[in-house]
Amino acid sequence: MNPNEVGTGQNDWNRREFLRGASFGTLMMLMGGVPLEAQTNTPAGEPATTSYHTYGPPVSIGLIGCGVWGKEILLTLATLPNAPVVAICDNYAAAMRKVKDAAPKATPYDDYKKLLADKAVQAVIVATPTHLHREIVEAALAAGKHVYCEVPLAANSEESLAIARAAKAAVKLNFQSGLQVRSDKQKHWLVAFIRGGAVGKTIQARSQWHKKTSWRRPAASPEREAALNWRLSSKTSPGLLGEIGIHQLDLMRWYLNARPTAVSGFGGIVNYSDGRDVADTTQSIVEFPNGVNLSYDISLASSFDSDYDMIYGTDSTVMMRGNKAWMFKENDAPVVGWEVYARKDLFYNETGIALVADASKQKAMLNKATATDANFTDSALHYALVSFVENSHLTTTTVADHLDSGFDLSDLPAALAKVAPSRRPAAGYVEGYEATVLALKANEAVIKGRKIELTKDLFAI
Amino acid sequence: MFTPAPLVSFRSLAGAALVLGLGAATCQAADTVKYTTKFGSKVGITGTSTIHEWAMDGQIIQGFLEIPAGVILDPAQAGLAGAADGKVAAKVETMIPVRSLKSTHTGMDDVMQQAMNAENFPKIQFFLSEMTLHGTHAAGKPIEFDTKGELVVNGTTNKIAMPVSIEAADKGKLKVIGKTTVKMTDYKVKPPAPKIGLGFVTTGDEVKVSFEWLIAPPAAAK
Repeated sequence: MNPNEVGTGQNDWNRREFLRGASFGTLMMLMGGVPLEAQTNTPAGEPATTSYHTYGPPVSIGLIGCGVWGKEILLTLATLPNAPVVAICDNYAAAMRKVKDAAPKATPYDDYKKLLADKAVQAVIVATPTHLHREIVEAALAAGKHVYCEVPLAANSEESLAIARAAKAAVKLNFQSGLQVRSDKQKHWLVAFIRGGAVGKTIQARSQWHKKTSWRRPAASPEREAALNWRLSSKTSPGLLGEIGIHQLDLMRWYLNARPTAVSGFGGIVNYSDGRDVADTTQSIVEFPNGVNLSYDISLASSFDSDYDMIYGTDSTVMMRGNKAWMFKENDAPVVGWEVYARKDLFYNETGIALVADASKQKAMLNKATATDANFTDSALHYALVSFVENSHLTTTTVADHLDSGFDLSDLPAALAKVAPSRRPAAGYVEGYEATVLALKANEAVIKGRKIELTKDLFAI
Repeated sequence: MFTPAPLVSFRSLAGAALVLGLGAATCQAADTVKYTTKFGSKVGITGTSTIHEWAMDGQIIQGFLEIPAGVILDPAQAGLAGAADGKVAAKVETMIPVRSLKSTHTGMDDVMQQAMNAENFPKIQFFLSEMTLHGTHAAGKPIEFDTKGELVVNGTTNKIAMPVSIEAADKGKLKVIGKTTVKMTDYKVKPPAPKIGLGFVTTGDEVKVSFEWLIAPPAAAK
């Protein structure tokens, strides 16, 4: 699942007008390149007339799981020029009807096995309830389909490991886990900024996700109600930390560039005594090396201050909200040139320096760079799906060229490694599995109300 | 800034270069030895622009080198056994998938493939026509050849000449090495004119193509 399903701040990130509305030049600049236009025979000084697009050939998509998040995926795919949705699948007819308009040309299936048998489908996106992922993902990989699997990979460690191992074994296929922020361009820029020493010595981190929502969905029948509200039963749900927390936990694990060593948890049902046995409010402490701890609160009972992530350092603290970020400097921190010209925002009695990708001194002077004019304005899901499509195509062509050349299959991993720099940023099975392990253990810590050591063997695939 | 389109043409050039590495003469199958491509080849294309140089790399060179059975391509031996006059009746056909050439900038590969018209002409091809020993070959040194052939890029064929060397690689394999310079416009590939802001950046018509083609006779190890 994705936090967007219940309206997280992340999902409130900017819409996806990027490819639809941006100029080619903008697109190229965002990709770190320049727009290319072929020279013509026009007189010197005249602009070229031929332009190029920067997306690859189409990859035909099949969506399995047409719930709320599945529809969001379809709407996002509809904005991509090279991701035709050719098949959709759900075992609940009403769900299929609700997404029909988002994928009008897709063949509907009521059984994922039928969709996987469809030769027109090159890649599948698995957006079913978490506890149903394993069987579908394993079957999809066996059918030779590229797979995008939402996170957590599964609702328990055993099934998560099975998925990771299946993805690892499928060397001819592209597997992407649904840690969408790992594809987000703004987040990548911030990673480099933070790891570059902007905060000084990291001392602690803090994350929050607050949204007042019951997490319960109405249904037409008791049977459907039970199936639809799988997140509210501990038999099928990995809890708040699994379904929501995994994204922010992984974000911190990524930014801090370290694997956590232990997690403690607390929480319970403080507001929704409606028969559920999954906590609606949790507090966690995630321990990282060098004494750095992440404190993380999630609640479905309060919406105060929404969601954010903060990294505290000896020189400054960085606060991230959606695709916006600010830096709060200590008085004794060294001055960096560009910040003089950057926009400042007041937060109570603290001054935040807006962090915008490529906010060079010149740009800041020209544009008064603000937190609202971030260069990378598409949603994390948009970037993640772009990566999935492009990387799936890259994998397909690399494998085909390798085998067409008569090369041994045993050399294929090396061939894929050589084209890895051409891959778009995305979380693979390793990142997906490690994030899932962390989230599941954090949820287990809440349930047991104690500290759990995160030993190295837990993350082995 | 990096310029994708030129890179594409470079790819073509590289393909041509590869082709050059191979020979032209055709022999009876029973009297020939056919070297086939092995994993580990390299293709490089570099070019210039008014800003900086750009580069593309590839790892796929498909095709074969076929030589008369009496010709011994052994860099360890002095001279060239089986080719008294230095001329080798070799047949070479090589291909490079345009899509296998990659830039170091994500997203640029698609642009390059369009500039190279990869949809209609997905492969760069080279067909060898002449392969002549260059000078004398000393034992333990690479065997140097002067080659001529036809390079096909963007559906356009041009004759090219290129020096090529052959040296020993591991497990009985040979490495065919060459480099040349070609012009994009000779293959009807328009040098890209990147637009940055309100200005344009021009790319040089000439691109440098280099390759290391790994081949092996039928009995050689993988």
